[in-house]
Amino acid sequence: HLSHIQSQAQAHVFHPKRPWILASLHNGVIQLWDYRMCTLIDKFDEHDGPVRGIDFHKQQPLFVSGGDDYKIKVWNYKLRRCLFTLLGHLDYIRTTFFHHVSPFSFLLASLHDQTIRIWNWQSRTCVCVLTGHNHYVMCAQFHPSEDLVVSASLDQTVRVWDISGLRKKNLSPSAVETEVRGISGVDLFGASDAVVKHVLEGHDRGVNWAAFHPSMPLIVSGADDRQVKIWRMNESKAWELDTCRGHYNNVSCAVFHPRQELILSNSEDKSIRVWDMSKRTGVQTFRRDHDRFWVLGAHPNLNLFAAGHDSGMLVFKLERERPAYAVYGNMLYYVKDRFLRQLDFSSSKDTAVMQLRSGSKFPVFSMSYNPAENAVLLCTRATNLENSTYDLYSIPKESDSQNPDAPEGKRSSGLTAVWVARNRFAVLDRMHSLLIKNLKNEIVKKVQVPSCEEIFYAGTGSLLLRDADGVTLFDVQQKRSLATVKIAKVKYVVWSADTSHVALLAKHAIMICNRKLESLCSIHENIRVKSGAWDESGVFIYTTSNHIKYALTSGDHGIIRTLDLPIYVTRVRGNSVYCLDRECRPRVLNIDPTEYRFKLALVNRKYEEVLHMVRNAKLVGQSIIAYLQKKGYPEVALHFVKDEKTRFSLALECGNIEVALEAAKALDERGCWERLGEAALLQGHHQVVEMCYQRTKNFDKLTFLYLITGNLAKLRKMMKIAEIRKDMSGHYQGALYLGDVSERVRILKNCGQKSLAYLTAATHGMDEEAEALKETFDPEKDTVPEVDPNAQLLQPPPPINPLDTNWPLLTVSKGFFEGMAADMDVDAPGGEGWGEDAELQLDEDGFMDAQDGLGEEGGATKEEGGGWEVEEDLDLPPELELPAGAGVGAEDGFFVPPTKGMSPTQLWCNNSQLPVDHVLAGSFETAMRLLHDQVGVVQFGPYKQLFMQTLSRGRTCYLGLPSLPCLRGNPQRNWKDCGAKQGLPAVGLRLSDLIARLQQCYQLTTAGRFEEAVERFRTILLSVPLLVVDNKQEIAEAQQLITICREYIVGLTMETERKKLPKDTLDQQKRLCEMAAYFTHCSLQPVHMVLVLRTALNLFFKLKNFKTAASFARRLLELGPKPEVAQQTRKILAACEKTLTDAHQLNYDPHNPFDLCAASYTPLYRGRPVEKCPLSGACYCPPYKGQVCRVTQVTEIGKDVIGLRVSPLQFR
Amino acid sequence: GPHPSPNVLTGGDVDELFDVKNAYYIGSYQQCINEAQKVKRKYAVVMDDIKASSSPELQAVKMFAEYRANEGKRDAIVAELDKKMSKNVDVANTTFLLMAASIYYHEMNSDAALRTLHQGESLECMAMTIQVLLSLDRVDLARKELKKMQEQDEDATLTQLSTAWVNIAVGGEKLQDAYYIFQEMSDKYSPTLLLLNGQAACHMAQNKWEEAEGVLQEALDKDSSHPETLINLIVLTQHLGKAPEVTNRYLSQLKDAHRAHPFLKDYLTKVR
Repeated sequence: HLSHIQSQAQAHVFHPKRPWILASLHNGVIQLWDYRMCTLIDKFDEHDGPVRGIDFHKQQPLFVSGGDDYKIKVWNYKLRRCLFTLLGHLDYIRTTFFHHVSPFSFLLASLHDQTIRIWNWQSRTCVCVLTGHNHYVMCAQFHPSEDLVVSASLDQTVRVWDISGLRKKNLSPSAVETEVRGISGVDLFGASDAVVKHVLEGHDRGVNWAAFHPSMPLIVSGADDRQVKIWRMNESKAWELDTCRGHYNNVSCAVFHPRQELILSNSEDKSIRVWDMSKRTGVQTFRRDHDRFWVLGAHPNLNLFAAGHDSGMLVFKLERERPAYAVYGNMLYYVKDRFLRQLDFSSSKDTAVMQLRSGSKFPVFSMSYNPAENAVLLCTRATNLENSTYDLYSIPKESDSQNPDAPEGKRSSGLTAVWVARNRFAVLDRMHSLLIKNLKNEIVKKVQVPSCEEIFYAGTGSLLLRDADGVTLFDVQQKRSLATVKIAKVKYVVWSADTSHVALLAKHAIMICNRKLESLCSIHENIRVKSGAWDESGVFIYTTSNHIKYALTSGDHGIIRTLDLPIYVTRVRGNSVYCLDRECRPRVLNIDPTEYRFKLALVNRKYEEVLHMVRNAKLVGQSIIAYLQKKGYPEVALHFVKDEKTRFSLALECGNIEVALEAAKALDERGCWERLGEAALLQGHHQVVEMCYQRTKNFDKLTFLYLITGNLAKLRKMMKIAEIRKDMSGHYQGALYLGDVSERVRILKNCGQKSLAYLTAATHGMDEEAEALKETFDPEKDTVPEVDPNAQLLQPPPPINPLDTNWPLLTVSKGFFEGMAADMDVDAPGGEGWGEDAELQLDEDGFMDAQDGLGEEGGATKEEGGGWEVEEDLDLPPELELPAGAGVGAEDGFFVPPTKGMSPTQLWCNNSQLPVDHVLAGSFETAMRLLHDQVGVVQFGPYKQLFMQTLSRGRTCYLGLPSLPCLRGNPQRNWKDCGAKQGLPAVGLRLSDLIARLQQCYQLTTAGRFEEAVERFRTILLSVPLLVVDNKQEIAEAQQLITICREYIVGLTMETERKKLPKDTLDQQKRLCEMAAYFTHCSLQPVHMVLVLRTALNLFFKLKNFKTAASFARRLLELGPKPEVAQQTRKILAACEKTLTDAHQLNYDPHNPFDLCAASYTPLYRGRPVEKCPLSGACYCPPYKGQVCRVTQVTEIGKDVIGLRVSPLQFR
Repeated sequence: GPHPSPNVLTGGDVDELFDVKNAYYIGSYQQCINEAQKVKRKYAVVMDDIKASSSPELQAVKMFAEYRANEGKRDAIVAELDKKMSKNVDVANTTFLLMAASIYYHEMNSDAALRTLHQGESLECMAMTIQVLLSLDRVDLARKELKKMQEQDEDATLTQLSTAWVNIAVGGEKLQDAYYIFQEMSDKYSPTLLLLNGQAACHMAQNKWEEAEGVLQEALDKDSSHPETLINLIVLTQHLGKAPEVTNRYLSQLKDAHRAHPFLKDYLTKVR
């Protein structure tokens, strides 16, 4: 934990907020360092000779320095210059400090001239001189809150000065006046402004350093007598409290730890020592080989210290700040203040689950959590590694967070302990050999391992072993190394949730490997790598001292955000980074994952996602376009780009001629057309090529293009153009391409090439033309050239088939994006298909139409066929009584095979009187007996399907040895506490499921598919006795469910029956009306009742039974039907009310309550004898007693039974 | 006479056949074959050694294969086997014992299977003994046998698997332990159908239906017609309250492809 700045330091000071330290050097230079990055930020070189005093101002961008050149300088580090110099000292300056409370602009200097001087640095005057020491003053400091100064001198004393007078004076109006008196006046008022309050004597040699405690009235001092002394003071006196002995040379510096009960001191004996303030004993010593220490300072807020020595400066932490933590699923376990705490990520509930055993002065170094046993291994690292230990704790199940249990752990020595299986852990002991231990902390195995200095978790049965320059995956069971990867000094290992990837974190490097430890990528960091976690999409999110960053397994990495202080990532979900900070507080930071999600989507070629992100355009920017181009995704980049120029080059890069053409049109630059022409030609897209040549007026190429594409018309046009342009050679070339000899002759003639013109004409047999030319020759001067008799005519081959369309184009792979880009214009993709479906589902009344899937299922249940004579077929194997103690008698080699044991299913039958438990056990016979006795079932045919279905969920399977038949599992509803004998099967049929199934029945009813509806209602009804429910309310609900089913079955069956009846005679019509009226007395859903009442209303109205019709109309209106229906009904009602009489006498009295006989469909008025179905409760006229119930089709009407039993409550 | 322990793990040596055996036990057959081929190439010498002394073992395997392949020959094979068993059996030939016991187990003759296995002392024999005892609902005896296995090598894959079987049969809190064993092996090796169905059985035994759905879906994705997966789905879909047609689909799939599966045989006898 030491970072090292290579320069010799006389003094140093931390910046209170930024990660800076200012160091003054022996050669007069002052350096500003960033200690996190270990980089030099600035240099201030004006002092002449050693600078021993240095201090930052707390609020302003200032620092002060004092040196052996007698000068005090005040600097502004922002302006990077010295603001002013305070002169007037006559000796070396040892220390300089700002007064930290504004508005006091005091500055304190201690001097070799035996004085301490206080300056007002704003007025730049010395306001006070403290005299009294009679040797060099080595150090003087302000008290952090009171008007006190402490000084240390080689005169062997420490003095405490009261400067309250000075403070008062400075606040008074006359302050300015006194200050201007200047140095000459110091002696006059100095004595009264600052007086010696205490003189602390006790050191036997010169005192080098003295410092106040930040909050308590304590002083610490270090002296050449090799001692560190602690002093206490009150208003009246000060006394020596204790002495820390241990340094064996002059103590240079001693300070209090800003927050803990510790003292730090350093010495010319080349050591830094840490002392326990209360026990006055050394707790830690750090030594250097060659350098004496001179100065020591603490960071005001952070756990950081700096120590200057002969050849440089150290910045160090006193203790590890990294909390020990482990993550499992939704839980974070971490150690804080001697407690193991548990944080539930989802609920943010943070509780202390146990108190740790005390006794170690070192904090917990690492943790390994075992979810199966709810146990932890906590490793504690001692300064001397050999003394390291680990504790094995079983976490208490229940815990009071305020006062958690402190369970007895098991402690052993060992460097590291990690779980390797649910009941095994591995310990790397101090001899660096590997032990495997069980939950009792007993050694089970010793394993020979390759040289190894640290072990890490690597999934069940495996470990990662670290040696000096690599990590090895080691199989503990096979005792063999499986793979090795080279990476120096891995500190942490982070596995992805599915253990498919692992991130190895070293000080300045990260390597990501797969399960086989094959390196996928490695990343180098300039700053320390601190921690990391995998997000759910497989991106590794990690932190350095000052950044949160991401890494894809492909090696792509980048910064997500900056950090002020280091954090330790515990988990990443979505936009949230869960972490622990240095104070071990759980925190959640928000990050913007867009960038890495985008890159991940690209790598995984999930273009839908990419496109989604592009459309939502959070990402547009030059950097991302450059990224895409660089990484070979120009076609993706194309979609980001609005700038036509970039668009054009990207389009060319990915061979998208259409887009390039568009962009080229927009740009209309010669260069673009040329490049496009080339690209198009390469692809064979000659129409675009043509356009490009036209735009660039590249006549030669255009002409040639027409030639090779056989476009004679355009070729001729080109020739004409050439003529107009007076491009003789182009013109001639055109004629040549066209095979137009007369044109060639004409051209040659016109340009004065008479001989050539003649020869051309003559050779091609254009005799007339040749003659005419010949005549123009001047016989005196010109010679008529000879025509070559063997000349061959130069004629271009005629095009067989002029090419109007493009050549077969080079296939440019059409990416996802081009397709999608086209789609982007379509408004509602796939809307049509949905619309059709959606429309199909609604008929005019808005009722759901038939559901085919359900119909199919109905078909499957019809398989059953006729008389299902269950009773005879179902015989259970006889229950074998088990002779107690029978077993395998293995003695003497004589083998007695064991008898069969009691199966769980047999036990179920023994333990329950509920029919379903027997069905699940496969004991149909007893189940039927129970149904018979409880609800009077006599016909079991309809139950067959239900029994079989139920049976099929009673047994699970798992494979034992390969090639053997599988083993059976028997899920039980009381598995937690049933023991070996009290088991009951898990039922798998819930009341709520049955209730939910009613909806389908209602829908079928609405759709008018009565027979199917009845079938389903009946299935539900018959299923009710196969339920198991827990409480009285559910028992009542089960009964109610039966009632609902019964009402519908009776009503719908009657309606089906009614529709089959003839309606020719009046009596027949009357009967139809009666049945319709009875139907209105079934208990139905309002939506159905509306339909039923409308039917009854219409029938009664037609029969002119207006009075009854009116009562139906009123009932109908009360239900609040749809407006159309209501309007219609009101009209009918109005019509009825004109003649409020019934034309015919019917067997229907709405005012006299009745039950309906479910067989004869006649009313059974109250008080008349009635027989009921024992299951459904359907009513029947007495003659039907003994018959099978019409509703259930399984029960006997009027049978005397125990009653429905669906809960163990009913047996108590 | 002394016979080499088939589980070399108990010694300090590296077992070259570890991956082959392991893959076989956890039901990762394709991997098993691949590993075996690797070993064959790499350790031709080892294989030659085995070959020289192993013809009785190979014969045993052949016997079992023939039994499984030819329904018509089964009676003859069993009669032949009975004859062999009545004579002196080479108890060092673990393979023979295992194959013989397998045949008896398939024949539902658990007495003979146990008697055969009783003569062997290997982990394989003990594991099979446990399975037979569990099928007889003798959890008490299975636990005793398991204890013997654990004494021999607690960390062996077979011991771990056997522990899981026994734990499922014991039920209660042990179910979670069983689950962890399957899960651990899935993590460590690969989630095979055997391991996934084991996990599912544990989940379902604990009435954790949603959790079971996850693992069974994974199993279904690996093989859409694996009989045990289908059977478990038939159970699961009902407990999840899915529409009956979902269950029926799995049932008909099972009927179509695995008519001879013991589960279905049992089930169909009820229909008659």
